Amino acid sequence: MLTSLLIWLEQTPPSVWVREYPSILGFPFILFLHTLGLAMLAAISVGIDVWVLRQQVIGRALRMTGVIRVMWLGLGINAVSGVVLLIAYPAKALTNPVFYLKLLLVVLGVYAVQRINRAVFPDGLAVMGAVTVATKRWAVVSIATWAGTVVTGRLLAYTHHVLFAQDLL
Amino acid sequence: MSLPDVIHWLTHTPVNSVVMDYRWVWPISESLHFCGLAMMVGTVGLFDLRLLGLAKGIAPAALHWSLRVGMAGFAISVITGSLFIFGQPDQYFYNDAFKLKVIALTLLGVNVLAFYSLEARRVLTLGPEDDAPLRAKWIAAISLSLLILIMLFGRMLTFFRP
Repeated sequence: MLTSLLIWLEQTPPSVWVREYPSILGFPFILFLHTLGLAMLAAISVGIDVWVLRQQVIGRALRMTGVIRVMWLGLGINAVSGVVLLIAYPAKALTNPVFYLKLLLVVLGVYAVQRINRAVFPDGLAVMGAVTVATKRWAVVSIATWAGTVVTGRLLAYTHHVLFAQDLL
Repeated sequence: MSLPDVIHWLTHTPVNSVVMDYRWVWPISESLHFCGLAMMVGTVGLFDLRLLGLAKGIAPAALHWSLRVGMAGFAISVITGSLFIFGQPDQYFYNDAFKLKVIALTLLGVNVLAFYSLEARRVLTLGPEDDAPLRAKWIAAISLSLLILIMLFGRMLTFFRP
């Protein structure tokens, strides 16, 4: 049942287009967009985490709305490009446990970003006061989670067992 | 020494054997390469965004310390990137995307030099609410653009292999 669904998905025009479009504006560019989205979300998040870990007190009102928008735009680019990449090679990803670990880490990473943003920049403005130990712990969790996301993302290329659903038959 | 001689020498070094003979060296190096890139893009990118006015309320000097983490990330990326070149030199030296990536990295280095020689002294004394000077904003915008190009050319390496 699942195999038939994957075979059907691989034969849909969007899947074929992403795989076979003979230009760097096809699969390679979508892969770049996925990297760019991760940089906007995960890398900027790591930059904020490093800054948060150094702070004892937030003494001034911060206007971080712009940076936070960049991060959420990155998440959007990542989600869309990720779905397109998944449509191109569904069997390759969905039969690989590392793919699910990556998704879990992304969810945890986004949750950590939310926790830090709410604690340090509610509504994009900083609360005046101390950066709590709990917030610093979330910053560490965030760094570890994004590192895990990057590693599992890279390992997807090396840990898949099948490329196409046909290989499952 | 011609380019083929350099490639021949690189492929006969012990480093080449380590990279090519052990199955997990390449994937682990790639993972570390991307982690290093994330450290660099995150810290340098956040500093650039502050100069462009997107993170007002933080003094640039407070974010400047984070650039050490970015430098560490850059060092990790250079070391792991060198391993790839030792492993498959012909795949890089004859690759147009690699050449463009090296040019973008060089320009990024020139841009960093421009920042430290022209603007750093002024920028690092700015208060949390102060606007960065226009020239510093241009340097930040160029830095962000080059970081994006480095990611683009890095991603295109696979598709421009000879």
